[in-house]
Amino acid sequence: MSQNERMKKIRNFSIIAHIDHGKSTLADRILEATQTVSEREMEEQVLDSMDLERERGITIKARAVKLDYTAADGEKYVFNLIDTPGHVDFNYEVSRSLKACDGALLVVDATQGIEAQTLANAYLAADAGLEIVPVINKIDLPSADVDRVRSEIEDEIGIPAQDCPAVSAKTGLNIESVLEAIIRDIPAPAGDESAPLKCLIFDSYYDSYLGIVVNIRVFDGCIRPSDRIRLMSNGKEYDVVEVGTMDAFGLCKCDLLRAGEVGYLTASIKSVGETRVGDTITLAENPADEALPGFKSVQPMVFAGIYPADGARYPDLRDALEKLQLNDAALVFEPETSAALGFGFRCGFLGLLHMEIIEERLEREFNLDLITTAPGVVYEVVLRNGELVKIDNPASYPSPDEIQETREPIVKANIITPTEYVGGLMDLCQDRRGTFIDMKYLDSTRVELHYDLPLNEIIYDFFDALKSRSRGYASLDYELKGYEVSKLVKLDFMLNGEPVDALSFIVHEEKAYARARKIAQRLKENIPRQLFEIPIQAAIGSKIIARETVKAMRKDVLAKCYGGDITRKKKLLEKQKEGKKKMRQLGSVQVSPEAFMAVLKLGDDD
Amino acid sequence: MATMTDMPGNINRQKAVGIYIHVPFCRSKCHYCDFCSFTGLDGVIDGYVDALCRDIESFKAEPQGYPSRRYTAETVYFGGGTPTLLDTEHFEKILETVDRRFNIEDNAEISAECNPGTVDVEKLRGMRRAGVNRLSIGLQSVHHDELKMLGRIHTYNDFLKTLDDAWRAGFENVSADLMYGIPGQSMSSWAKTLEEVGSMNLKHISAYGLKIEEHTGFFENPDGLTFPDEDTVCDMYEYMRDKLCQMGYNRYEISNFARQGFESVHNLKYWLYEDYIGFGPSAHSFLNRVRTENSRDLKAYLKGENICVSSSLIGECEAMNEYVMLRMRLEEGVDKKTFFDKFGVDFDSRFSEKFNHYAPGFVINGEKSCRFTEKGFLLSNYILSDVLNFEEM
Repeated sequence: MSQNERMKKIRNFSIIAHIDHGKSTLADRILEATQTVSEREMEEQVLDSMDLERERGITIKARAVKLDYTAADGEKYVFNLIDTPGHVDFNYEVSRSLKACDGALLVVDATQGIEAQTLANAYLAADAGLEIVPVINKIDLPSADVDRVRSEIEDEIGIPAQDCPAVSAKTGLNIESVLEAIIRDIPAPAGDESAPLKCLIFDSYYDSYLGIVVNIRVFDGCIRPSDRIRLMSNGKEYDVVEVGTMDAFGLCKCDLLRAGEVGYLTASIKSVGETRVGDTITLAENPADEALPGFKSVQPMVFAGIYPADGARYPDLRDALEKLQLNDAALVFEPETSAALGFGFRCGFLGLLHMEIIEERLEREFNLDLITTAPGVVYEVVLRNGELVKIDNPASYPSPDEIQETREPIVKANIITPTEYVGGLMDLCQDRRGTFIDMKYLDSTRVELHYDLPLNEIIYDFFDALKSRSRGYASLDYELKGYEVSKLVKLDFMLNGEPVDALSFIVHEEKAYARARKIAQRLKENIPRQLFEIPIQAAIGSKIIARETVKAMRKDVLAKCYGGDITRKKKLLEKQKEGKKKMRQLGSVQVSPEAFMAVLKLGDDD
Repeated sequence: MATMTDMPGNINRQKAVGIYIHVPFCRSKCHYCDFCSFTGLDGVIDGYVDALCRDIESFKAEPQGYPSRRYTAETVYFGGGTPTLLDTEHFEKILETVDRRFNIEDNAEISAECNPGTVDVEKLRGMRRAGVNRLSIGLQSVHHDELKMLGRIHTYNDFLKTLDDAWRAGFENVSADLMYGIPGQSMSSWAKTLEEVGSMNLKHISAYGLKIEEHTGFFENPDGLTFPDEDTVCDMYEYMRDKLCQMGYNRYEISNFARQGFESVHNLKYWLYEDYIGFGPSAHSFLNRVRTENSRDLKAYLKGENICVSSSLIGECEAMNEYVMLRMRLEEGVDKKTFFDKFGVDFDSRFSEKFNHYAPGFVINGEKSCRFTEKGFLLSNYILSDVLNFEEM
């Protein structure tokens, strides 16, 4: 088979959708229909292999799978289905996964229509130069309105949709039409297998037997075991140990991967940190002139301190973070100590969801109880001497008299909502210091709102507030716009006159008073009364801006001694003693880990 | 280290104990009560008294093959439930049996808890004749709405009547139980209760803060209950302490007040770490450092089955800690010489470092004794849970 004929039989695509529009279910049906996975073998949603993903119904990391399909006309095709993460936190990874494809199926829920992430994903796919094939899903539902959704797609995204497949991924209805549309509408890959090697890394993960497994799309050239390869971003070189393709159940070794193909390689690489998503692999002996465009190293946007609730488990936390990092180059951490919380780590995440996922995995897979400090973003501070410092930890915030100017990251936010919630959501954005950009009616019932919003307002439970003010209907997408000058202050809290470092955070001056009062109030509610009165103070620099008092405990006594039942009283005291062991000693004040968490998880409406 | 009196070689020495008799029957269940009691079972009371007497008769303190020690009963205490649901004959029968088995001392304190509305002067005379010489009457409050809130079946007038009957039946040593922290109770209603009860010439008053226990009416149906807040409850306690002391009562234990010489000998046995033997469902015993507990299984008890569900020998360290826990409930606290005589261990070396953290505000740790201050008394759980360590080696 000539190079040309071989490539004509390949389709590289991914599925993109707003959350819950049925991306994973459609992937399952495609796997079944191509008999890559039989129905019996099918563990629901094979592509989402992490427990957590299945529970949250979201795909966290990309996976790819090779499928064999015999088309209606009898021709045999190879499909490479490349799965993408479905959340704004992972936008960069989505864009890299898309780069590995030649087309994308855009799944739209026939009952919901276009949502914020439908648009965001469609734009990402268009930016990546992909052919977009709309697929209208959930047509089995009574409230499905296929015609309305077809015109929405045409009007809003500007791609033809009158003949696009309309399916029910749940029941399997019309799945064949999707497979045929893939062949008809998605272009075969281009490329030259005799040109110098150019492979795109779109994912990598740690395997305890193979080391780092790198998922690649070959654009030009061929790659074989024992080739000496070079990573074009950093010049690092490795010898290829193995190449192959992925089926739904694992890796299949092969002799070589050629232009147009999707597969994996292993090369005794130690950490995913070395194989950055988006990087280009070439051969050391015959390198490509230039890398594939678009590589950037991912920067964490959200930072928080993570501490073990039980200080003795610090080494376990370190091991757990190291293990997670093997598979997650976006996770960064370094040790930090807090007078209040002991030894822990300052961790950086792509966004709040990423942070929640990491926390949950630490708690679930490593059985750790954690205390997480308030999440913050990276601020820029210009000092009086002209120096620019980046601050990702309130502990390193300069003192007010050294500061010339402060800047914070701003995002462009795109919200799609039913019209009736527009007022409430505009209030929310206003309240979160948003700048209104514009508003656009998608149709008579739905509106698209554009705001510039400070990132630190978004990570502070913006998403929950958005959902609660729109009864779950509004959707959000955002991307970083840049830094803007902003009046920031560092807020400190003191218990009994002693500062509690773990409670400090950076906040906009306008918000400082309200937040300070709220947190002081929360502390008061959550710190148990102790033998002495405990003043709680919130301060900016040396200026106290809020205060509360935990009154001294007056009574903690078992009045009655239950006849001769001594055991009961003894058990009570022993239980109380156990409880005290878990307390954190903050200077002279004892605070339970639960109290800390209650204070740190301050919600929007309380 | 066992003390001399506990050594098997000293079997000839007689030992004074307290006897507790549980009477697990009530007319109705009060909303705060989690003690073992049953309603609507008056029909089995005869059978219960028989089972009780058989149990007392066959009581063995020592293991098989060991010579029995001689015990004397220094106190007998009928608790409940409602002991006054027993007839005079029942009291007679039980006390005769206790006397046969344990030899009730001549000047023994024989108490019975008594609920107003379940006795008349005749029954009280009968009880007095049978040997009961101290009554502890459950009053709780002088206010009708508070009594109703607690689920008590009697009125304040019922109490006054019962008290009058008690005087007429010849009881001199009479105690009343009061309660503070009742839903809806105020400082002024509490003050009124204390004022009235304090001027009745009672020899003894117990006053307990209401605490919600599991499996009680209050616990199951908490809706609509508004309890006085912690500060008010503290104020109530402090007011009571001052008021009763002004009226000539001594607070000898955290919740117990008595005229000079009328402290409850039986209850003091619990706090002084002395021996007591309990009979009946849910009863506890502490004898020769062995603590046992009976189940609440009335049915099994009626059939004569052994209902002891746990029995444990208290180790030396545990005993020291328990001793401190109990003694610290008393106004006098721990006497350091008595502690040394009992355990052969210096109190200071064991406990003073931790107690001193709380001195002088909460604890007075002197050369001879260690006791709580007023403030410390009310925080005793907090402090003791820090100081004591039942498991340390």
